[in-house]
Amino acid sequence: MYDALLDVWHLYIRALKKTIRTPILIFSALALPVLFLVLFSQIFTQFGNLPGFPAGGYVQFVVAGIIIMNPLFDSGGAGESVVEDINSGFVSKMLVTPVNRAAILFGRLLHDMTMVLFPVAITLVLAYALGATVITGAPGILLILLTAAFFALAMSGLTMAIGVTTKSSQAVASLDLVVTFPLAFVSTAFVPYEFLPGWAQAFSNVNPFSYVVNAVRVLMSTGFVWSTILAAYAVIAVFAAVTVGATLFQFRSVVK
Amino acid sequence: MSDIINVENLIKVYPGGTRAVDGISFSVREGEFFGFLGPNGAGKSTTIQVLTTLLKKTSGSATVAGYDVDKDAREIRKVIGVQRQDTILDGDLTGRENLTLQGHLQRLHGNALKKRVDELLTLVELSDVADKRAAHYSGGMKKRLDLASTLVHKPRVLFLDEPTSGLDPQSRVAIWEHLETLNQDEGVTVFLTTQQMEEADRLCQRLSIIDHGEIVVSGSPVELKHQLGGDTITMSLANGDGGVKDRSKRIVSGIQGVTKVLDTETGLAAYAKNASALVPDIVRLFDENKIRLTSISVTSASLDDVFLQHTGRRIRSEELSKVDTWKGHV
Repeated sequence: MYDALLDVWHLYIRALKKTIRTPILIFSALALPVLFLVLFSQIFTQFGNLPGFPAGGYVQFVVAGIIIMNPLFDSGGAGESVVEDINSGFVSKMLVTPVNRAAILFGRLLHDMTMVLFPVAITLVLAYALGATVITGAPGILLILLTAAFFALAMSGLTMAIGVTTKSSQAVASLDLVVTFPLAFVSTAFVPYEFLPGWAQAFSNVNPFSYVVNAVRVLMSTGFVWSTILAAYAVIAVFAAVTVGATLFQFRSVVK
Repeated sequence: MSDIINVENLIKVYPGGTRAVDGISFSVREGEFFGFLGPNGAGKSTTIQVLTTLLKKTSGSATVAGYDVDKDAREIRKVIGVQRQDTILDGDLTGRENLTLQGHLQRLHGNALKKRVDELLTLVELSDVADKRAAHYSGGMKKRLDLASTLVHKPRVLFLDEPTSGLDPQSRVAIWEHLETLNQDEGVTVFLTTQQMEEADRLCQRLSIIDHGEIVVSGSPVELKHQLGGDTITMSLANGDGGVKDRSKRIVSGIQGVTKVLDTETGLAAYAKNASALVPDIVRLFDENKIRLTSISVTSASLDDVFLQHTGRRIRSEELSKVDTWKGHV
């Protein structure tokens, strides 16, 4: 067990080094939330004045959606990196060593949980500059970061499962988009639940993204509403169990 | 227990029915430099993948360092080093980091690992570029780093799958020298596959020639070449159709001193101890029989001749025709 944890640690460090040495990856991960927050706050700001819109204005409302969009849109790298490692032979190079098989995947997942914290932090800082606040203060901010990290685990598990199954980074990129777009937009991320058409409300009810956004939103605007927060964690736990489980299962065919 | 690799009646059938390895048996002694010589698709890589626990065998038995490849795969992984046909490195990491990571995966750490990594960087002459990213290395440097990365944990058996394919002659010789040092000075057992005669000839103490998933013949390079009974006279015929070839073959076989005559793609290959002295006779007899020779040459017998003797083909020509058909697929 100790050896397995050490394996995860070393492969986590490897993944971090690879990302840090490719600055363009960091730039795009950081630029995305800034772009979205600035654009959304400008374009949709009048929404905040509509009757029935939650108090606090559109920026205060949409920040939660943009925070949780980070793990959603940054997850592709996990799938692409595992595809690269399989196709370059690096996975088989690791497989002829005693390394723990699952550690090969968990090192990268842990990397994603860490790296997502930076764009989330930037989103929070920029949101503050645009007038948004976090009503729950520092403990709330910590919980928001933790929530984003765990959602990153589930989402990266999804792209890894696609990557391990298809062994094609193009497949990861295109399938990723097909999955993430409906998750992001047919949810409560950018529009209040009451504003969604009926079919979209039905989808939002089973959309894990909505649950996670709602948890972040209550932490920003309402307080520690545990029913909402725990519901989000339960959804993430199930989602992560499915995606990471699928990845591990599919990885067995690579390991043989 | 002096056999470090023992393979009996190993069979590997891929899903789809390809019998890549078809009932081979061989053993490698501890400290030996052993090789598989054969053309593309002969079953060399498949055998290595089974022995290095990457691929499950269909049937037969195989042990490495006394451990069964199916039951004790974890134990095997601690004592083997594996270099695959393609150079596999993390280009984003430096040379030193690549080696350190391999050490970590072999559960080494601390000062001992640091020392071992320095030692290996010196061994493969990469100390001065150790902190540059591997992506910027030349092909030869990458191969050397890849080789070093298989040695971090001081493996007892080193598996090398065509370790110098695609290298320029100078880099190839450099790798050969490193492998000889490892085998002779550190006593590492080496199992190597290759399709290059020179490589097998220079490095291997013993080898098996493998073709279509079966071992054709085994022995030391000297022994195998000796069986041919001398040097090679290679003759190309202007008109190589069956009748002319058969007549030529009868003529050459009749010459005193010729031990064996084999068909080649362009003519004949004959083997004789006093090969050079027979050339004038051959030329004269062909002339008298109105058979036109386009060329005749004498070389010392090579492992390619051994391959020809046992399979009726040359490795090299097979390799060339393979390259052509592959291009169609890529």
